[in-house]
Amino acid sequence: MPLSATHAIPDVSIAKIDASQVKLDVQNLDFFYGKNRALKSVSIPFEANAVTALIGPSGCGKSTLLRTLNRMYALYPGQRATGKIMLDGEDILRPGVNLSMLRAKIGMVFQKPTPFPMSIYDNVAFGVRLYETLNKTDMSERVEESLRRAALWEEVKDKLQTSGLGLSGGQQQRLCVARCIAVKPEILLLDEPTSALDPISSAKLEETVTQLKQDYTIVIVTHNLGQAARISKYTGFMYLGELVEFGQTAEMFTKPVTTRGSDYITGRFG
Amino acid sequence: MSIELNAVRRRSTPHGFAFEPIFEGLCFGAATMLLIALGGVLVALTIGGWPAFSKFGLDFITGVTWDPNPEHEVYGAAGPIVGTLLTSALALLMALPVAGGVAFFLVELCPTFLRRPIGTAVELLAGIPSIVYGMWGLFVFAPFFASHVETPLMSAAPAGSIWETVFSGIPNGSGILAASIILAIMILPFMAATLRELLSTVPAQVRESAYGLGATTGEVVMKVTLPYVQRGAIGAVMLGLGRALGETMAVTFIIGNSHGFPKGMFDSGSTIASTIANEFNEASGLQSSSLIALGLLLFVITFIVLALARLLLRNQVKA
Repeated sequence: MPLSATHAIPDVSIAKIDASQVKLDVQNLDFFYGKNRALKSVSIPFEANAVTALIGPSGCGKSTLLRTLNRMYALYPGQRATGKIMLDGEDILRPGVNLSMLRAKIGMVFQKPTPFPMSIYDNVAFGVRLYETLNKTDMSERVEESLRRAALWEEVKDKLQTSGLGLSGGQQQRLCVARCIAVKPEILLLDEPTSALDPISSAKLEETVTQLKQDYTIVIVTHNLGQAARISKYTGFMYLGELVEFGQTAEMFTKPVTTRGSDYITGRFG
Repeated sequence: MSIELNAVRRRSTPHGFAFEPIFEGLCFGAATMLLIALGGVLVALTIGGWPAFSKFGLDFITGVTWDPNPEHEVYGAAGPIVGTLLTSALALLMALPVAGGVAFFLVELCPTFLRRPIGTAVELLAGIPSIVYGMWGLFVFAPFFASHVETPLMSAAPAGSIWETVFSGIPNGSGILAASIILAIMILPFMAATLRELLSTVPAQVRESAYGLGATTGEVVMKVTLPYVQRGAIGAVMLGLGRALGETMAVTFIIGNSHGFPKGMFDSGSTIASTIANEFNEASGLQSSSLIALGLLLFVITFIVLALARLLLRNQVKA
C-alpha cells in the first residue's frame, strides 16, 4: 500500500500562493443557475499583478466563475452564488455590496467586441464620465493614455470622433480594453477575448495583456491553450464545474499533476 | 458509377426548378398589387377631391370656415388639419415617456414572474377596438375630466395670462386635450410593445459591458441600450404617430366635433378623420368632394410623417 500511495496521482491539485500576493481569493464558491449547480466548491487564488488563465472544455464553468468575480450574474434573477470571494480582505458576495462601485473596480472584456453606438472617444470616456468629472484636457489625456495602453492609439488617433462601430473586430476589442482600463480598475476579467479575432489581432491583444499585467490583476478565460501558455503566470483547469488543477503555468503545461489536467493539455479530450 | 450519379442528380433538381418561376411570379405579383392599390387610392382621392381643390384653391387648406349649409357652401380645412396635428402631437408627447418606462421596466427591472402577465396585458390593451376606447372616453373619462381637471384648471388660470388662453373652452369633458389623452392611451400599448421588442434585441454582452463599467440601470438604459435601438425607436414612434393621425372612432366620440380653429386645450374641435366620419353619410356634391379632398390631405400628411422618419433614419446612419 505505501508503495502505491507514493505513486498515487491526485484527483485534484490546487497550488498555494503566498497570501500577501493574493488580490482576489475565491473560497468554496458554489454557483447555481436555478437548481443547476454550475460551480462546485471552487477555491482559487488570483495573484496581484499577474495573469491567471482559466482553461477547460466548454461548459466547465470558466465563464461562470469569471461572471461571479464582478457579480455580473446578479443582473439575472435565479442565478446565485454561495461561498466567499475576498477582494482586499472584503467579501464581495455579501449582500449590501454596491455593485456599480464593485464593477468599476473590476473591468470585463467579452468574447465578442461590444463597442457602444457612439464615437471612439466617447466609448473610452463613457466609464470615466460615470465616476469622475474631468475637464476637457484631462479627459483627452485619459482617453489617449487608455488607447495607447490598449495599443490602439496609432490606428485611431485621427478618427476619434467617428463611430466605434466602424472599426475592425480586432480594433473594436482593443477599444473595449481601452474603455475598461480608462476607469482605472484594479482587476481585468477577459472572457475569451480573442476567440472572435483573426490571428494577427489576437497577437496584438495578447501583447496588450502582457503589457497591462504590471498594473492589473488579470483573469483570462481562454480555449486557446497556446495563449494560456504564452501570457499567463498561473493556470486553472476546470472540468464539470470543478477546479481540477491550479498552479504555475510553466509547470502545469510541462508536467500536469492530475490525470484529467494531463489529458486535456495533451489534447486527449476537450 | 456514372449512371448512379446521374440518377442522384436528376432526382434532386426538377422540383425546385419548376417551382422557382412560379414563386418569383407570385412574389412579384404581390408587390405589384400593392403599388397598384396605392396608386389607385391616390388617383381616386385626387379625382374625387378635384372639384373642391379647384373651387377653393389654397383656401381649402388655409381657410378656417367649414360651412356645409347649401346656401353658402364654404370649405376650409385648417381647423381639422390643426386638430389632427395637435391631438396627435400631444398624444405622442404624453404616450412616449410612459411607453418608454413600461418597456424599460419590462426589459431591465421586472421580476421574472411579473414579466409575462404585464407583457400580455400590454398586448391586450393594444387589441382593444377603438370604439371601446371612444365609448369609455365619452361616458367615463369625459365627465371625470370635466369636473376634476378642466373646471379646476380653468378657475385656477389667472385672468389675462397665457394660461387663460390655453385652458379656454367649455368644460364639458370633450375637446382637444381630452381627445389627445384618449389617443395617448390608445397608442401607448402599441409603442410600449414595439419598444420592448426593440430593447430586448440589444445583445446581452453590450448591456453587460455597460454594467461592467459600473453603470447603473438608468445609465445603461439612457446611454447605451436606448442609443443602440435609436433607429428602430424612431420608427416605432412614427408608426404610433401614424396611428394617432388616422384614428377615427375614438376621436370622433370625444373631440366635440366643431368645425373651425380650436381656441384652447378644452375647446372642442375636429380632426380630418372625425370630420369625414361625421359628415360622409349626408354629403353630396361639393361637400362630398371636399371630404374626399380631406382624405387626400390626411394621406399626404401621413406620407410626410413617414418620409420625415426615413430622413431621420438616414441621418442616423451617416452619424
